[in-house]
Amino acid sequence: MKAMLQKIRKEAASVLASGEADLVLGWGKGPLWWQSYPAFIEEEKETGSLTWDPFCVPNLSKYLLEELWVKQKVALFLKGCDALGFNQLLQDKRVDREKVLIFGIPCSGLIDPQKVERAGLHQGLHSVEHQGGELVFSYKDDQKKEDPSSFYYDKCLTCRHPNPVVFDMMLGDAVAVNPQERFAAVGELEKQDVSERYRYWERQFSRCIRCFACRNVCPACSCRECIFDLTDPRWLGKANVLSENQFYHITRAFHMAGRCVDCGECARVCPVDIPLTSLNRKLIKDLNELYGEYDAGVEPEKEPPLITFNPGDPAAFLES
Amino acid sequence: MSVVEEHHLFEPMIVAFCCNWCSYAGADLAGTGRMSYPANVRIVRVPCSSRVSPNFILRAFQRGADAVVVAGCHPGDCHYVSGNYHARRRFSALRRFLEFVGIETERFEIHWISASEGNKFAAIMKDVTDKIRVLGPNRKLRDVR
Ligand code: SF4
Ligand code: SF4
Ligand code: SF4
Ligand code: FES
Repeated sequence: MKAMLQKIRKEAASVLASGEADLVLGWGKGPLWWQSYPAFIEEEKETGSLTWDPFCVPNLSKYLLEELWVKQKVALFLKGCDALGFNQLLQDKRVDREKVLIFGIPCSGLIDPQKVERAGLHQGLHSVEHQGGELVFSYKDDQKKEDPSSFYYDKCLTCRHPNPVVFDMMLGDAVAVNPQERFAAVGELEKQDVSERYRYWERQFSRCIRCFACRNVCPACSCRECIFDLTDPRWLGKANVLSENQFYHITRAFHMAGRCVDCGECARVCPVDIPLTSLNRKLIKDLNELYGEYDAGVEPEKEPPLITFNPGDPAAFLES
Repeated sequence: MSVVEEHHLFEPMIVAFCCNWCSYAGADLAGTGRMSYPANVRIVRVPCSSRVSPNFILRAFQRGADAVVVAGCHPGDCHYVSGNYHARRRFSALRRFLEFVGIETERFEIHWISASEGNKFAAIMKDVTDKIRVLGPNRKLRDVR
């Protein structure tokens, strides 16, 4: 952890000093242990405020959409899942690769503050750090060591690409790739009958407060004019009714079909814990089954399944 | 009382998005050929099956459709060459996805109907209407305000 932090600060300072980049996107520490927020660094002398700890989860690449309007070249740090999202922005022609300098961070998993809290370890906590194979919780005058595996974000447990697939310079050695099966929850839901499933999703969708965090965080979701914001035609109203929530969720997930990189960010940011991952993965699973394996975010040159076809394609309906 | 009798008073509303170059002409042929098909079907004419956005289908359900049909040219016959090939992929994924969130597959069908297949158009619309009569009214996704 410490070694990585030193590298991050050193590279940031060097690209700003040389003028190679006029902005560095990294993470900075907020006042509380779990707060590692995106940091926008423009001066070499500010690079000491950059942080790297088990809470640096926000994907920085979506900030490029705004920053590249005004900056010549932006340097940023990407973990494995972030790099997939970056590639999706690249495929959608939303960023210019030439104007971006990527430092890749091989990532062995980040820590979910909610899991720390549920384990009752949060009272008086100052910081959390990976040390060797252990997770060290530091308090005012003592320390606790725990096995990190029960604290990882859910998305990290199924992470298939912890080593960035796109970078200019890699800041560490590749980490082991050891994902859990990612379609298990989808498989369980598929076993239910259709009305049971309707009730399940009704319970989920009815909690949605339509804060749009899941849309805003998504690297595959970058239209300048979003259907959910349009007032003419007004596809999505403002009223708090189930039907509108259902419209939002089905449309959001379907707009990502074939483009969702399965980075898990949408589910992570949802304040009411809607299992958005199951919606995304259902689409990934079906498209893989019907039209061949496609791993969004891995090969941005390859066409996503819904913008191409084969005349001999199978159909999920009876063709006559 | 049989299920069909129970639903005696229920008249399904079927919304059919029909491609102008084939299925809409097929519907026309069914009309001019005096083939009868259920009055439950409301046709929306679209320039191609690929013009149909998933939003259209959701909106139809929100506003009271009991089933939605998308009808386009046979594979290989699309006026715009590849529209229906794209539609095939899009609606295959959507149909499975709707079923995943709890909408019965009977309520969303896709068919290829050419301009000369007036009888096929009539038969499909009758078949869909009959099935929905048995399945009953749709409340899912309905905007009940
Ligand atoms: S999903 Fe993978 S790359 Fe992303 S934070 Fe978790 S382990 Fe790291
Ligand atoms: S839909 Fe969710 S998991 Fe998929 S790319 Fe967007 S944020 Fe990531
Ligand atoms: S983040 Fe959660 S609550 Fe907010 S719009 Fe998305 S699903 Fe709804
Ligand atoms: S023109 Fe009929 S499906 Fe494309």
